[in-house]
Amino acid sequence: MTSPALEVRNLHKRYGDLEVLKGVDLIARDGDVISILGSSGSGKSTLLRCINLLENPHDGQILVAGEELKLKRARQGELVAADNRQINRLRARVGFVFQSFNLWPHMSILDNIIEAPRRVLGQSKAEAVEAAEAFLAKVGIADKRHAFPAQLSGGQQQRAAIARTLAMQPRVILFDEPTSALDPEMVQEVLSVIRTLADEGRTMLLVTHELGFARQVSSQVVFLHQGQVEEIGTPDQVFDNPGSERCRQFMSSHK
Amino acid sequence: MTWAERWATIERFLPQLWDGTLVTLQLVGLAVLIGLFFAIPLGLARASRHWYVRALPYSYIFFFRGTPLLLQLFLVYYGISQFEVVRKSFLWPYLREPYRCALITMTMHTSAYIAEILRGAIQAVPPGEVEAARALGMSRRQALQYIILPRAIRIGLPAYGNEVILMLKASAVVYTITMMDIMGVIRTINSRTYQYELFFFVAGVMYLIITLVFTQLFRLVERWLKVDASRQQR
Repeated sequence: MTSPALEVRNLHKRYGDLEVLKGVDLIARDGDVISILGSSGSGKSTLLRCINLLENPHDGQILVAGEELKLKRARQGELVAADNRQINRLRARVGFVFQSFNLWPHMSILDNIIEAPRRVLGQSKAEAVEAAEAFLAKVGIADKRHAFPAQLSGGQQQRAAIARTLAMQPRVILFDEPTSALDPEMVQEVLSVIRTLADEGRTMLLVTHELGFARQVSSQVVFLHQGQVEEIGTPDQVFDNPGSERCRQFMSSHK
Repeated sequence: MTWAERWATIERFLPQLWDGTLVTLQLVGLAVLIGLFFAIPLGLARASRHWYVRALPYSYIFFFRGTPLLLQLFLVYYGISQFEVVRKSFLWPYLREPYRCALITMTMHTSAYIAEILRGAIQAVPPGEVEAARALGMSRRQALQYIILPRAIRIGLPAYGNEVILMLKASAVVYTITMMDIMGVIRTINSRTYQYELFFFVAGVMYLIITLVFTQLFRLVERWLKVDASRQQR
């Protein structure tokens, strides 16, 4: 059996005395689309940010394609990368799409996309540009390649950010509330890009408040509550027949 | 004295005024460029996470920002010649020249300020943009080189332009160590013509013109680096 694309074991994270994650386990096999739901403060985003060490967990293991991320304990008690080369290499294989896009505003859209493939993967400029144009076409903003981020709408910026992530050919993509910073009329254009990626069989973890969308695209749904996995299963199970009372309440209050 | 006579007097000293302008421009131009070069490591160290890396640039900046340029100039020009070692060293032919003393002092002075500008600019780069670089697999050094510094330069550029203009005016103190910059030339002319109010007026106009040129120059650089593109337009 091949190793799962991404595996998280017993992940713990706290801010001071506040325990945000209390031992989360998660497995994403190739082609899985896993939506992570939960009310605000349940630890969804923290979980995602801990996976590629944008936040430092306090305990647990993270494995990307079977390779365990080497961690060591820092003075304040949190776990930090023990091997800088390894974490950079693994981050390059785990894409991350931010709620607030985080495009680099001093570069054109095309330059935003080719920067990391050139610097990190060592692609030539021509190679990177060719790939970037294909990804821009895929997310539907090929005509914006020479524009600057500030000239684009929020939805277009997020699609550019997705193209930037795709350009690294990641094994897994983590989406951290990709539509939460968007005006309502722009949510759909971003969701439809994510849907296309799901249909291509890409492995993705998706933190979202778009429950209807999560139900449609996910192969698995995880409901987080107070830093623990409260419910996990297929979309139909979790949405229609949740075992936990809290999950039932959450679903009915978000209909 | 009529305006025609005044102009005739000025015209008589135009070559000297031009030479003085060149000295001022050269001093300021070299100081702010070499100063920028030294300010980059200083500013980076100043923005470090480790206190022992921050300590050295902090002391340097504290001294050069905390004392007048005139005092620093005297320390270099009159001070270091007091040391036998310096007078005997191979550097002495260089260090006894007022031009070199002025350049060294102005460079050290301005690099302290530029380092502070750079530190502020580095810390003003939105953390999310740095996270994006790291999340794509860039190392700390790559993120610094390809994302943070280019971004910080654009953030700090207007403040750097301001510093250049401040240095232009601060450079007027170098006449005190016999330099023939604009002020040096003006004082010499004054002692020959006794037309103080006329030539101080001329000096003022000259500084204003240079300031105007510098301002336009920085506007061009800002356009070239697309500093505006970083600002939200909606």
